[in-house]
Amino acid sequence: MAAVKDDVVLEDLLRIDGLIKVFDGSVRAVDNVSLTVAKGEIFALLGSSGCGKSTLLRMLAGFETPTAGRIYLSGKDITDLPPYQRPINMMFQSYALFPHLNVWDNVAFGLRRDGMPKDELAERVESMLKLVQLGKFAKRKPHQLSGGQQQRVALARSLAKRPKLLLLDEPLGALDKKLRESTQLELVNIIEQVGVTCVLVTHDQEEAMTMASRIAVMNEGYFLQIGTPDEIYETPNSRLVADFIGNVNIFEGEVVEDEADHVTVRCPECLHYVGHGITGTPGMAVGVALRPEKIHLSREQPDKPHNWCAGDVADIAYFGAHTTYHLTLVTGMTLKVQQPNLTRHSGQGLTWGDRIYAHWSQDAMVVLTQ
Amino acid sequence: MKSPFSKRLAVVLAAAVVTAGLASSAWADKEKVLNIYNWSDYIAPDTIANFEKETGIKVRYDNFDSNEILHAKLVAGQTGYDIVVPSSQWAKIQIQGGLLQKLDKSKLPNWKNLDPSLLTQLSKVDPGNQYLVDWLWGYTTVGINVDKVKAALGGMPMPDNAWELVFNPKYMAKLKSCGVSFLDSPSEILPAALHYLGKPPYSQNVADYNAAYNVLKPIRPYVTLFSSSGYINDMANGSICVALGWSGDINIARRRAIANKSGQNIEALVPKNGGLAFFDTMAIPVDAPHPENALMFINYILRPEVDASLTNTVFYANPNKASLKYVTPVVANNKTIFLSPEDQKKLVIPDAVNNDVRRVMTRLYTRFKTGV
Amino acid sequence: MLARLISRFRSVFRGRNAVILVPMLWLFVLSAVPLLIVLNFSFSEMEIASVASIWKWADDALTIKINLGNYLYFGQDPLYFDTYLSSLKFAAITTLWCLALGYPFAYFMARAQAHLRPMLVMLVMLPFWTSFLLRIYAWKTLLVSNGLVNQLLMALGVIHTPLQMMNTPFSLTIGMVYAYLPFMILPLYANLVKLDVRLLEAAADLGASPWKTFWLITVPLSKRGIIAGSMLVFIPAVGEYVIPELLGGPDTLMIGRVLWDEFFSNNDWPMASAVTIVMILLILLPITIFNKYNAESKSEEQA
Repeated sequence: MAAVKDDVVLEDLLRIDGLIKVFDGSVRAVDNVSLTVAKGEIFALLGSSGCGKSTLLRMLAGFETPTAGRIYLSGKDITDLPPYQRPINMMFQSYALFPHLNVWDNVAFGLRRDGMPKDELAERVESMLKLVQLGKFAKRKPHQLSGGQQQRVALARSLAKRPKLLLLDEPLGALDKKLRESTQLELVNIIEQVGVTCVLVTHDQEEAMTMASRIAVMNEGYFLQIGTPDEIYETPNSRLVADFIGNVNIFEGEVVEDEADHVTVRCPECLHYVGHGITGTPGMAVGVALRPEKIHLSREQPDKPHNWCAGDVADIAYFGAHTTYHLTLVTGMTLKVQQPNLTRHSGQGLTWGDRIYAHWSQDAMVVLTQ
Repeated sequence: MKSPFSKRLAVVLAAAVVTAGLASSAWADKEKVLNIYNWSDYIAPDTIANFEKETGIKVRYDNFDSNEILHAKLVAGQTGYDIVVPSSQWAKIQIQGGLLQKLDKSKLPNWKNLDPSLLTQLSKVDPGNQYLVDWLWGYTTVGINVDKVKAALGGMPMPDNAWELVFNPKYMAKLKSCGVSFLDSPSEILPAALHYLGKPPYSQNVADYNAAYNVLKPIRPYVTLFSSSGYINDMANGSICVALGWSGDINIARRRAIANKSGQNIEALVPKNGGLAFFDTMAIPVDAPHPENALMFINYILRPEVDASLTNTVFYANPNKASLKYVTPVVANNKTIFLSPEDQKKLVIPDAVNNDVRRVMTRLYTRFKTGV
Repeated sequence: MLARLISRFRSVFRGRNAVILVPMLWLFVLSAVPLLIVLNFSFSEMEIASVASIWKWADDALTIKINLGNYLYFGQDPLYFDTYLSSLKFAAITTLWCLALGYPFAYFMARAQAHLRPMLVMLVMLPFWTSFLLRIYAWKTLLVSNGLVNQLLMALGVIHTPLQMMNTPFSLTIGMVYAYLPFMILPLYANLVKLDVRLLEAAADLGASPWKTFWLITVPLSKRGIIAGSMLVFIPAVGEYVIPELLGGPDTLMIGRVLWDEFFSNNDWPMASAVTIVMILLILLPITIFNKYNAESKSEEQA
């Protein structure tokens, strides 16, 4: 049952087939999920807590037994293997470093279980510590390390056995925001350097977008959408995905014109002319998603029949690189608009209560039928 | 209390004992309360109840089972007890140590009932009979299960002197098969061994005790039980056939065997050279909170019918010559309870030993028992 | 002057100091004072029915007469050395058995479903609801030659003559292990229940079998529970008196009996005090080691 891909020829490493996990007889934590991950990919499972992403990961590691469905690794069925016999390693949330062992022994732990010869083992541990730049800390106990250093030990430990598949459970969740940003790229660098296939679980969409080559957005045990980060961001397939990934304004309206290359949607606030086709019929209720950064502001009323609306400035949030304005529209809906601060005084002198016009192009929006 | 440190210790220990009303002895004495500390299983069922009914005094009756424990309490002081019942040789030390108070005999009209010959014997530990009134008395001796001993000895005749049975390995080797019990106390076993050897049983000479140990050592493998109370039952049900024990206990075992129809024929023996007498004596601690009530109780016990009921219950002789007519015939006629004049004359009267000798006794007894 | 004293008093006994004062006073009264009395006794001698004072105030001079005889006597009689040794031996045997039996028990409890755990803890504590003496006596009825165990074994045909189990090192060990087992299980349980399950998963993830995981992760991480439980069993077991008296025999002389003999049979309180002091010193040694280890590993607990 080899998956056939037309565009790129990639070797499938992991295949999940109709996986179901039911807890306590009724709670469906993972609900009939199928997925293929190609070799060398960094794949992110993204969702809020309780969406089933951790349960899915734990089934991959072998800590949970699926209620139904199979897991294949390199074509081999590993569903019934205990965790210690799977060529998969995991980096745990908050790391689960062995507190009684020093850094060196933590990294060597898995290698010793394989009975690796001493010389080779020492060489491997050294190279792993070098990879994560912790050579000097080999003799330290975990509690003597900073959070970032502990994270790197955990990474080295999970990579030491050169697993076929690396699982990352909220790999940056325990770090503070500043450290998280720099670590994200470092982590990706190391993973790509090693060339290991990776499944990562996160609730942080930014983390998923920066690190992953593909993302699955999960909700209530099933996948809402699977795609590359820009697919997920620019063409969300549902209100849930659009809402979950980044900031979005969603207008509710109904289709008045449905053509092959465009759609017109009437909303109480304005008329939308969307430059792509949908599968729908006139009269259908839809949502129109519009990202705040795709909106322009002007003091003059735009000279076009659609894709603009008027609003009063209710809130101004200055973020340095950009400013976010909250406009109150005639219907009472709040429209979020993000303006890049291209020059030092690009605020146009806008202030609270000002009447302003927001407008956007026909390619800025996505029609959401779900 | 001589030492200030004992006093301090007493303060610490006082929490554990009767404390109500200790602060003022004079006030406490008017309380209708009496605290008694006596040996276990040593009283008639109605003794206390009758006294309480008659006087309105509430009695608290506690038990101990060794002189050592009573002595330690008295040394610590502030026991809260008004009457204690030490054996006479211990009472001697307690008198010397100032732990007991003199009796006001004007409050004891029944003193006249006491057997003068017994008073003479007690005067050896209590000159002038100023501190002690005998509760009951008995003697340490050998008790046997007649049929089982006969069977175990085979053709061998019974020894002339009963002590031979327990101290001569020749007999002991045979008796082991039906079970031999020894009292579990150095102050019982060593004097008996000394007496068997013909040495003074309460010798102050350490060398004598080493000789006694040499008697004990060879018989150790044949002693199957060390017990100071459980042996009564074991005798009555036939699981032991010989006991080095107390005369009254052996008679209780005999009575139980008869009552249970167990078919065991138990008998206390009176050794040819005499048993080792003991006198358990009532005394009032120097710091007793209710000495007046204590005297009332002692006088009550000395009534002929009360003393007789004690003897009828526990099979030990009482010191009350007027009580004999109230003692049931089966007890009165038992020559191992009320000894014949000759046997009584041969009884060894107990005496106190000094602390150094006591240490030697304990040490030798430990070596006898455990080999260490 | 008085005002200054009061204000000084106030500043010393304010806030945290005052809070610490209560337990400190409690400890002092209940443990330091009695210990000092015992220590004082141990340098004294027994008079007829009282302990001689080592402090004498006469002619405006304080004379302290310290009698080392009690301690020197230890060297003269092998009894003391032998019984200390045998006490340590039985305490060690008891501790090892308690550990061997208590560890799987505690492990099972800690791994049981969370809602079952309070009940399991209750079950471990259940024996405490009946008198300690009664429970030890109950063993007597089981182990005597015509007791239940012998009757059962004979009925099953395993043996034909009753085994001599009572009054042997065997019966003593059974009684001691039985009595002290909860003191091993409870600290072990308290430790194991805190054990981070993810560490076990991490070990499994890295290729360790359940057995290897147990020895490489669970046991080392429960070291403090093991030590705490062992101390709680070992220390009171050394001085145990009641169980050897009821279940022991000629081969099981322990220091508790010697202490009883010194105090009651010999009426020699100073010697009894000296025996106690030496026993405390013997027990202090493992406690010191434990405290040292405890201080070292405390920082390791949480990072």
